[in-house]
Amino acid sequence: MTVAFAFLTGMTLVSALGVVLSRSVVHSALFMSGAFLGVAGFFVMLNVPVLAAFQVLIYVGAVTVVILFGIMFTQRPQVRRFRTIINRQIWPGFFAAAGVGAFLCYILATEGWGETGPGNGARSVAVLGRSLLGVDEGLEIFSLLFEAASVLLLVALVAAIAISRRKEGAGGGEAGR
Amino acid sequence: MQSLGQQLVIAAIPVIPLVVFFVLALFGRLLRENAQYVAIFGMVFSVVFSFFALYLVIRDGRPLEFSVYWINLGEGGGFPIGVYIDELAAVMLVVVSFVSLMIQLYSGGFMAGDRRFAWYYAVLNLFTASMLGLVVAPNFIELYICWELVGLCSYLLIGHWFEKPAARDAALKAFIVTRIGDAALFVGIIMFWRATGTTAFEGIAEAAQAGFIGGSLLTAAVVLVFVGAIGKSAQFPLHVWLPDAMEGPTPVSALIHAATMVAAGVYLVARTYDIFVQSPTAMLIVAYIGAFTAFMAATMALVKKDIKRVIAYSTVSQLGYMMLGLGVGAFSAGMFHLYNHAFFKALLFLCAGSIIHAMDSYNLFEMGGLRRRMPLTFWTMVIAGLSLAGIFPLAGFWSKDAIIASAFEEHYYVLYALAIGTVFLTAFYIFRAIFLAFTGEPRTEGAARAVESPGVMTVPMVILAVLSVASGWVGIPEGFGLPVRDYFGGFVAPSGFARETLEVEPHGFSFLLAAISVLVGLAGIGLAYAMYVARPALAPAMARRLFGLHTFLDKGWYFDALYGATFVRAAFAVGRAVQGFDREVLGGLVGGIARGTGRLGEALRRVQTGRVQNYALFIVVSVLVLAIVAGAQYAVIVAALIALVTLATLAVGARL
Amino acid sequence: MQQLVEQLNAQIPLEGYLTVAAIMFAIGAWGALIRRNAVVVFMCVELMINAVNLTLVAFADFLPGAGGAGAGYAVLIIAIAAAEVAVGLAIVLAIFRTRRTVNIDEVDSLRG
Repeated sequence: MTVAFAFLTGMTLVSALGVVLSRSVVHSALFMSGAFLGVAGFFVMLNVPVLAAFQVLIYVGAVTVVILFGIMFTQRPQVRRFRTIINRQIWPGFFAAAGVGAFLCYILATEGWGETGPGNGARSVAVLGRSLLGVDEGLEIFSLLFEAASVLLLVALVAAIAISRRKEGAGGGEAGR
Repeated sequence: MQSLGQQLVIAAIPVIPLVVFFVLALFGRLLRENAQYVAIFGMVFSVVFSFFALYLVIRDGRPLEFSVYWINLGEGGGFPIGVYIDELAAVMLVVVSFVSLMIQLYSGGFMAGDRRFAWYYAVLNLFTASMLGLVVAPNFIELYICWELVGLCSYLLIGHWFEKPAARDAALKAFIVTRIGDAALFVGIIMFWRATGTTAFEGIAEAAQAGFIGGSLLTAAVVLVFVGAIGKSAQFPLHVWLPDAMEGPTPVSALIHAATMVAAGVYLVARTYDIFVQSPTAMLIVAYIGAFTAFMAATMALVKKDIKRVIAYSTVSQLGYMMLGLGVGAFSAGMFHLYNHAFFKALLFLCAGSIIHAMDSYNLFEMGGLRRRMPLTFWTMVIAGLSLAGIFPLAGFWSKDAIIASAFEEHYYVLYALAIGTVFLTAFYIFRAIFLAFTGEPRTEGAARAVESPGVMTVPMVILAVLSVASGWVGIPEGFGLPVRDYFGGFVAPSGFARETLEVEPHGFSFLLAAISVLVGLAGIGLAYAMYVARPALAPAMARRLFGLHTFLDKGWYFDALYGATFVRAAFAVGRAVQGFDREVLGGLVGGIARGTGRLGEALRRVQTGRVQNYALFIVVSVLVLAIVAGAQYAVIVAALIALVTLATLAVGARL
Repeated sequence: MQQLVEQLNAQIPLEGYLTVAAIMFAIGAWGALIRRNAVVVFMCVELMINAVNLTLVAFADFLPGAGGAGAGYAVLIIAIAAAEVAVGLAIVLAIFRTRRTVNIDEVDSLRG
């Protein structure tokens, strides 16, 4: 367990750093999918392999591809110097982010979470599915959220098409919403 | 106690002109030339009621008084407003209302066609109302209110032709100079009130008699009150405003600066006589200032070219006589002179106005030969001049001689000398003016074409001329040998208390002193005749040879220059300093705040870089700070952290 | 030796997962603040979302009272994040078309 945890931790965090510090955008995208895989591994360790599958499918499979598409459309030459990809906020940002991270670690680690032990969540897909779509008592309102998420996806789809349509003058002139 | 009807009638005496003021002020634009009829209509009633009041006082033998509580301070007392008419006040009421009526009749002709005709009549009536209110005031507060109102009306009327800068300046000068007196008067009133708890004249007099007011305090307060009188009556050293006040219309000069307002100072001293007599120092001050002013003003009148200014200085001089009379204890004589002087001085001004109306010039050296062209004006002016010079048997003789004789008989020989000298100078300057204006040949076109004034102007002049001759005959002293009593002296007399305190013995009529003053007067007239009729070249030659003295007198003993160099310059310096402070410090402060805010805004503007990542950084830092504040245990650490982070962010943000 | 094996087979406490998630979140925040390329900023935002997901699922597994609700949340968040990527990239493309740049330092027309 510990070995797996250590390995996954290293993979995730190194990939995250790679996203931030890589000079090539494509390398950043690949590092990102590496981080996604690490998180998927964590999901497995946390007894929800369903979510790990979702993670891999959606994030690594779809989101990475979409981002790569975006990179392709906004192609820029690869830069040589580190300065070009980083703006002037590097050190203030570092301290701010480090502060936030330190604070979160402190709070999360020292807070007493009560009697805890692994294995309290859903283990099988059936259970997860029923919790997402079921209406038995004891379950939350996930069915409503599920439907709301569906609407949101539809809206996002339409919006993405509307924004990125190349119309005569009008679509290209929009500087975003 | 008077019946309600009588109270209403007496209260109406000052109230009718007040009502006329409001009517004319509101509807003046509609009435225009008809304003004079409204005013005269009201004034006639006031005159009739004044005579009625006089009749009541004579019949009852004691003063009329009634009052209502106006301001009630509870424990601290109160200020009543009301009426107190004794013999002195009754006579003054008749004089003031009658002269005012004459002036209002005259003004119909003089001010015909003036742009602000109705407003002129409105203010004239407000003035009359205030003066009548001043006369009947039973306490200092009501007196002071009317005193200030009178001053205001004087300011408004002097500056009636405010298109002329000289008129504006003269009105301001009058107001400011009399203000100095008014301030002193107010301090005196407060001192009396603090010492006695009341402002009523009777109350203060009783308290003074009973010894409630200490000697030096009494003298100080009474002298301050006298300074108020000095201001209003244009005595030395606050005399400088009266000659300049001649910029106003001539009827205004006749009413205000001859007969009534300037008499208010003398009236004040007479009203508070019971208090004055308890301070011999104050009496001496009054007498000396009066005599000195009389002499000084007479010298200044010797060399003036402007006929109105000659008469103005004459007023100052005659008021000095009245103060002299009051100061030496000749109360009745002083008030008698006030009463006579009102008539012949008003007449002198009306004659001057008649000349100005006819030929539009004040300058004596542009007149000449008007005797043939304006005979009525000439004869009335001669009568007034003789009365002023104190020639037997006209009115002025009886009162002026009484004052001079009292000065001599009370052993004030210096004052007597000054008074006799002034008699000579008075006769000289008034007849100098008369001869220059009316005899000889016309010196200019205007003089050659002058015509007599219309009836509406000459009728009041004739009435006043008759009075100038006869008004003194109610005061012929018994020693003269005629079977008439001294009605005036018996009627308007100081109180018993004052008589005892003064220890003045009534003197018989002295033929010697009377003869001396009449001869001195005739000598003055003779010298004027010699210099201006018989040998006209003599005067300019003298003026050239005595140029220094001439200029000294012409410039009013350089008083205006003195005051200008000291007080006026100091006041302007203070004004400039205050203005500078206001502009630099206060304005700079306000402007500085505005500029500072602007600069702060400019500085903060640099935070708005337009870049989302900058904003995101600020948000993250703010969240961090909030989290630390919420979660931290030690306040010092929290404060230090917040300060550090804020400074760091600002430093970074400024360079973004 | 036995202790080492026991140690290696020990359960990972809740705080472990939470710490990893926190660090990943911090790295993602840092990246979002300092990179100039808009698409890379997007990627860092995805990192942060994943960190949150990890936290939620960790709590879902460890806390008895929640009834496994954290996993459900995580599923919905995945879906929504995907939608957000789509819309966001559409916007980036729209900006790129007009300004020919994805350097977000140059998109500062609301300056001042």
